[in-house]
Amino acid sequence: MTGSTLKQSAKQRPDSQYDAASITILSGLEAVRQNPGMYIGSTDQAGLHQLVYELVDNAIDESHAGFCSQIKVVIEADGSCSVEDDGRGIPVDIHPIEGCPACEVVLTRLHAGGKFKQHSYQYTAGIHGVGLSCLNALSDSLLLEIWRDGAYYRQAYACGRVMEPLVKVGEANKRGTCITFHPDARIFDENLSFSYEILARRLRELSFLHPGVRICFDDRRSGESEEFQYDTGIPGFIQHLNRAATVLHPQPIAIHIHQPGLDVEIAMQWTAGYGENILSYVNSINTVYGGTHVSGLKMALIRAVNRYATETGLLQVEKGTPSAAHSTGEKISAFDILEGLTCVLSVQMAAPSFEGQTKTRVTNRELKIIIDEAVNNELLRVLRADSRLAAQVVTRALDATRARLAARRASERIRIQRVDTGVSKEIYQKQFGIRSKNWHQSAVWIANDELLAEHVKHLGHDHYPKMLDVCCGSGVVGASFKGKVGTMFGLDITPEMIQLSRTRLDHVSQGTVYDLPFHDNAFDLVVNREVLHLLPNPERPVSEIFRVLKPGGQFIVGQILPFGPEDAAWMYRVFKKKQPLIFNMFQEEDFRELLLGAGFVDLKMSEYNLWESIDVWIDTHETTTLHRHEIRELFYHAPQEVREVHPFEILPSGEIRDLWRWCVFSVRKPV
Amino acid sequence: MDELHGLRTHETLKQAFRAEAGTVLRYLYFARIADIEGFPDRAQLFRDLAESGVCNAHGHLDFLKRIGDPDTDLPIGETDQNLIAAISSTTLEHTELYPLLAQTASSEGLLDIANWFETMAKTKKAHEEKLKKSLALLDLALQNEKALASEPAGAGRS
Repeated sequence: MTGSTLKQSAKQRPDSQYDAASITILSGLEAVRQNPGMYIGSTDQAGLHQLVYELVDNAIDESHAGFCSQIKVVIEADGSCSVEDDGRGIPVDIHPIEGCPACEVVLTRLHAGGKFKQHSYQYTAGIHGVGLSCLNALSDSLLLEIWRDGAYYRQAYACGRVMEPLVKVGEANKRGTCITFHPDARIFDENLSFSYEILARRLRELSFLHPGVRICFDDRRSGESEEFQYDTGIPGFIQHLNRAATVLHPQPIAIHIHQPGLDVEIAMQWTAGYGENILSYVNSINTVYGGTHVSGLKMALIRAVNRYATETGLLQVEKGTPSAAHSTGEKISAFDILEGLTCVLSVQMAAPSFEGQTKTRVTNRELKIIIDEAVNNELLRVLRADSRLAAQVVTRALDATRARLAARRASERIRIQRVDTGVSKEIYQKQFGIRSKNWHQSAVWIANDELLAEHVKHLGHDHYPKMLDVCCGSGVVGASFKGKVGTMFGLDITPEMIQLSRTRLDHVSQGTVYDLPFHDNAFDLVVNREVLHLLPNPERPVSEIFRVLKPGGQFIVGQILPFGPEDAAWMYRVFKKKQPLIFNMFQEEDFRELLLGAGFVDLKMSEYNLWESIDVWIDTHETTTLHRHEIRELFYHAPQEVREVHPFEILPSGEIRDLWRWCVFSVRKPV
Repeated sequence: MDELHGLRTHETLKQAFRAEAGTVLRYLYFARIADIEGFPDRAQLFRDLAESGVCNAHGHLDFLKRIGDPDTDLPIGETDQNLIAAISSTTLEHTELYPLLAQTASSEGLLDIANWFETMAKTKKAHEEKLKKSLALLDLALQNEKALASEPAGAGRS
């Protein structure tokens, strides 16, 4: 510790308690304040919420040990938060070595706590004693209340320092611990505050993982409150996650593994969706990046489903192969089995080993073997015992495998066809027809008002121009011009989209942008958004748009563009994996050339950056499971060159938010 | 002149280098897929072998650099030489190689692949600019050093 820090610490501390012993404590917690990220991961929103999780995890540990059944979490109007449990209460007797109450040791010494000795807690999520003292160090005020052995104790802290000694305030007829803290604004950005949604999600998750506990959550800022208590446990969690999905089988498949020092609970259910949703926990910590437990589970699923499909003769065996056992024929791939799967995997174990500071990947090798064996056996037993369920699970995966192969063959055929025709109508119709069902939920940009307004800003006509929204989709772009334009025409190739857009536009016809079903000079204004990159030979549609515009008419078009040549190839891969129909990754100069090359003049461009949730965007039928994973990997391992120009963020939950560079162009047909 | 010069072994070393470099990149690709499929052991195997592949490919380069860069035949070894060789191959990539590949793809009706190659050409152009900038800085530093060294002894020193 430097001399100046020492002096400063001394000044902030009441003189009466300033002694040699205090210096060590301060230096430990001062280190936490100077480098908080090392202890709680970060000082952004995730770090702020981590403080609450530390307290709740401690209470959960207490309940797991069998001493706590209720946890109260309150966000106060002043931005502080309190967590109260009805557990045993942190011990208050004098610590034999430190010479002060044990609770004070726990709150002021790093690496102090009741979790180092195996007999106090069998499984624990807490950060082994770093937790409470870190929380204390990062709070500008903290109040500790303990009800224990018929007495009520209280002690106040500030920035990790003791403000007053532990006082016995009075008698008590209850027991437990309550900690109220206010995060230090010098550590955390003052604009940060606790999010009801984030905390409620974690508390709900914990109450599913620990069916015995009741968690009450109260937000005094807004008056919102909720109680979480689910006796249904992990299968109930699955039903909660799948509440809006079409499920293939009504009851989740539940598997338990119980061994000395290890408890594993798994529940799984397949839906008609495309996404794979495996939530994994080790001692209640959400292992976002998986690890050996998830690997074991996936291996078991592949083995069991293929084994069952083989022994029931569902797989096609290649001719001349004597038996399915050494078949070179059909095999269901991991991706097809995982498609539509919702699974929760909760492991409770004595000595988990994690990779990295934030504990998001578990590495115990034995876990993989145990889980693989047990799940494989149990799942096979379940499938064999319930042929109806088995048919649903196996047939679905098999269908996915066959559909994928068929699609690949079809796309090869289409490629050959396209050389002549330029575009295959059927492909676009099918693609966007299926997507029309949840069109507005399938990405943020589609119905974002500010982005739409960015297009309207370019409008240069004031005489109610006759407008065409070309490749109009649901018609939102055209509709955003409502009141400022005359008759609103639309055009789309997909009957489903035409249906949708008719609710917003005046006249919608079916047709292709390669051959617009309109006369020359028919419109004053054509609008279009995020379409041209999907079209081979985009010059042709642009010249068609030029043709149908009156001289002096305006074309307003929005397009997502890379930030520069540095991220273009990476974005090409991301977009192509999401949507095989991509034909162009325009860069800004390409797009300008495309418009000016068609004869347009008077080019203006404005930019609007929009955060898009990649997880939502890739949750569609056109993105295969492998591609969804590969897209995430592309973000996780984005080259430095890309990161320097293209902002995106990976949240602690693994969710990816990407900043999209929307460029809105306006051009005119020369008079 | 190096004994390798003009011998068949020089060509075979170039082939070996390309093969090994290809192996490394394929294995790293395979490793990602193994990870996604839930086979971390196999992913690790691919990564370990890729790591060895890097060592092998660099071994080939140890010999090759006696004659020059396997891609451009320009001398390599010191950083300024390496930068010049890198600029030379990057220039070739964005002016000749990728435009030609794009043309071929386009003539075969594979317009998405043609656009991929066009994107590559632009990326390579950006890389060339970065390398050139770095070389200019290096040149500047070398010139300064030269100027310092050529100053008469004692001048500017106390």
